[in-house]
Amino acid sequence: MSPMKRMVFSRLAQIPLILLAVYTLTFLLAWLIPGNPLEKDEGRRPPPAIAEAMQAQWNLDDPWSFYWSYLGDISGVSWLLGDRTGPVIDFGPSLRHENWSVGEIIAGQLPVSMMVGISAILLALFIGVGAGTLGGLRPGSWLDRATGSISIIGVSIPAFVIGTALLLVGGVWLQWFPVGGWGSLQHLLLPAVALSLPFAAWIARLTRQGVIEEMQADYIRTVRAKGVSERVVVVHHVLPNALLPVLSYLGPATAAALTGSFVIEKVFAVPGLGMHFVDAVLSKDLTMIMGVVLVYSALLVVLNLAVDVMYAWVDPRIRV
Amino acid sequence: MARLLITPLILLLILLGLLSLDQREREADLVLASDNEIFTLDPQRMSWLGDMRIAYALFEGLVRWNPEDFSPQPAAAKSWSVSPDGLVWTFTIDDTAKWSTGAPVTAHDFVWSWQRLLLPDTAADYSNLLFIVEGAEEFWDWRANALARFTPGSAPETTAAEALMDETERQFVKKVGLTALGAHTLEIRLTHPVPYLLDLLAFAPLMPVYRPAVEGWPASSDTTTPPPWSARQFVRLVPETGRLQADHRWARPGTLVSNGAYMLDQWRYRRDLRLVPNPHAHHPGSVQSVLVRSFPDPNTALLAFRSGEVDWLTGVSADVRQDLLDAKNADPDNDDILVRSIHAVPAFGTEFFSFNCSDTLARGAPNPFSDPRVRRAFAQATDKQMIVDHVTGLHEPVSGSFTPKNSIAGYEPPQGLEFDPTRALEELAAAGWTRNTAGTLVNDAGEAFPSVDLKYTTSSPRNRRIATALRSQWQAQLGVDVRLSGQDSKSFGADLQAGDFMVARGRWYGDWGDPTTFLELFRSTNGNNDRRFKNAGIDAQLDAAATETDPAARMAMLAKTERELFEVHMPLLPICQLVEVTMHDPDALDGMTTHPRLIQYLGDVRKRSAASGGDGTSGGGMP
Repeated sequence: MSPMKRMVFSRLAQIPLILLAVYTLTFLLAWLIPGNPLEKDEGRRPPPAIAEAMQAQWNLDDPWSFYWSYLGDISGVSWLLGDRTGPVIDFGPSLRHENWSVGEIIAGQLPVSMMVGISAILLALFIGVGAGTLGGLRPGSWLDRATGSISIIGVSIPAFVIGTALLLVGGVWLQWFPVGGWGSLQHLLLPAVALSLPFAAWIARLTRQGVIEEMQADYIRTVRAKGVSERVVVVHHVLPNALLPVLSYLGPATAAALTGSFVIEKVFAVPGLGMHFVDAVLSKDLTMIMGVVLVYSALLVVLNLAVDVMYAWVDPRIRV
Repeated sequence: MARLLITPLILLLILLGLLSLDQREREADLVLASDNEIFTLDPQRMSWLGDMRIAYALFEGLVRWNPEDFSPQPAAAKSWSVSPDGLVWTFTIDDTAKWSTGAPVTAHDFVWSWQRLLLPDTAADYSNLLFIVEGAEEFWDWRANALARFTPGSAPETTAAEALMDETERQFVKKVGLTALGAHTLEIRLTHPVPYLLDLLAFAPLMPVYRPAVEGWPASSDTTTPPPWSARQFVRLVPETGRLQADHRWARPGTLVSNGAYMLDQWRYRRDLRLVPNPHAHHPGSVQSVLVRSFPDPNTALLAFRSGEVDWLTGVSADVRQDLLDAKNADPDNDDILVRSIHAVPAFGTEFFSFNCSDTLARGAPNPFSDPRVRRAFAQATDKQMIVDHVTGLHEPVSGSFTPKNSIAGYEPPQGLEFDPTRALEELAAAGWTRNTAGTLVNDAGEAFPSVDLKYTTSSPRNRRIATALRSQWQAQLGVDVRLSGQDSKSFGADLQAGDFMVARGRWYGDWGDPTTFLELFRSTNGNNDRRFKNAGIDAQLDAAATETDPAARMAMLAKTERELFEVHMPLLPICQLVEVTMHDPDALDGMTTHPRLIQYLGDVRKRSAASGGDGTSGGGMP
């Protein structure tokens, strides 16, 4: 077995162990959140007997039995043992939104978060690599200073300011875009732009640095001496090497963008997972917290592995 | 380079795949932006106002409220009568009342839905609403005890659970005063006269549900006889515990059957909910379709209203509402769309601060607030008008008592105690606390008044601002030290229940159109008596009012009780009547209620046709 394959297999084998650790830790922390998920934040409380009946209904009266029975449900073990019908992996109903199962919520919301995230990363790559290359080819020029200043602004203005400004201009004044909501390409563009800016700024800085370094390398002088056109020099020789740091940044950046941004989803009323996860924690919706954390963790582990594989494949000098 | 391009290419392909999966939002006649998320569409399990707003569009109770004065008027029931002693009510169900499947709405539907509300297995917040019915509380206890004692037994496990369920149904028929005397006649027998029964019957948790839909009976089955338990999709009897376990996913488009003006067409989790007319409705709504969009950020909702995408905001961003209301108050003819569209309407709720009335605090320390003179002193040292004018800025009507003014026909809540700092110091002096030369409040032994622990939730900046104002008023007027503690709502709720506070912020909304929806809170045994206020005299007065059959005399008795509560006992410090700030263009929407009960039947909203433009005269409601 090649070292590459061995790496992939051993990393895959670790996933269940990582997820079990995540499950246990999340369960512990979520259980420690004060209060009762079935209770309203303020105002009316049902009589104690009814409150007990509510707890019993979801198995919430005993942490130990909740831990094991829920572990059985989400690992597919109870399904295999024939204790339960329904989906193999069952996150159960949301405690706060009982008409929905956590599985349905994740299946509905995660693609939305992913769409915004992927669009943002693509936009960030386009803007960042473009701006970084332009700046890096002529360091110190007005173009470099302009892209540099814009990228500083990109990382420093908070997303809710950029988001609200985009909605005001694009939605209310120009009326080109709908104000919030979801369901079409027009709905996607503004949140994707707002989410992409900080990523674009980083990518621009990484690209610029890479381009400046590679342009001074000996092999580039050699290529130039052969009379190759400047366009070919940049596209075929400089960029492939200059962009390696961008590729390693892309792993964590994609993971961060995919899992949804609380602020962006809230401002643009995008029905993604990031926002609801925060609400789930605040309201102690145990099943929702567990479901989302586990899906996120699985996604992160897989994405990290994918980036490592990709990195080794793009640059064969790297041994993982 | 080709290899480098592979990453964006993969991402692009995933994006295109995902885009093809998603559905567009559909248009609707009336679009409202909800600041509340929707928790459940199951009427028996509801307790949030946002959920109930949808329930009132989907379901129809025996009676409904007249939106003008909230008097009860016929809905699913076409007529009713009551026995001379006020204990037995007989309702005749309108035979034009139909479920969205076309099946008739019967008395059996109501009996079954209320039995469901009364099962501990349903664990409904409002189970005890029906404890006014003869035998209802006894039935609840019987089933709860039977479940606690349940043993699966040796026979095939499900039979024990099924046998218990069969016995439960027999006990219900035997014990509970809810009987279908035929398909269209319903009898309700009460434990004591309940003059507000009709008002209660219009309340969402008492709406009927359609049993075959709730239990998920197979489509092929007859809709009158239940199929075997194993054939019901959404309920099962748990063999180990005997409990009836429900899968609440019946309350979704396609499976939810309703009897109100609308049917559920689409519902996407925390995104949108769409209602279309119920073709079988005997009281259809005005608008053809309603879209409820979820806007987690109130500023975005405001921008959506400004751009014309939304017709009605049920809540307005706290960042702008004060400025808009001030502009409207300064110039009622201001024609700016946001200014003319903002409305502040007094609601059926009161904002207050609870005093801990128990003898000692949570850790055994003596509690100065156990003395009513101290509570009255703090109340009289509070300048509420200043708070509503300068702190909240919404100019809410200040409250001296608990029941909101002008909200219940035939009931005038008492004035309560006025702002009077001199009187406050006299009350404190009588309780043994005087200000020393340094201005600090001390007792005879020279010990300072304990630092007042004032708790509030950090869920909204409003709470902190009001608490800060109280601190500065009490420090200035009384010379006491006040410690503010802002908490997240879960910790706050836990402390409140444990009695770990001296003064704590609260708000209370009434459920039914009677002062008891507020005053029952002061009964010693009430589960929401966070103040731990116990007074045998008040309990006796509430009991006496409950058996009084003359409505006017009863209201007078309740008013007397409330006067005593807020002139003598002062278990809590009322601040103001709560105000709902909403936004709709009066030139575009008609039929919006301004009664403090603020329950808006979506079917009553009429949209003035866009063609009529700014003239604002024609009511363009659909037939």
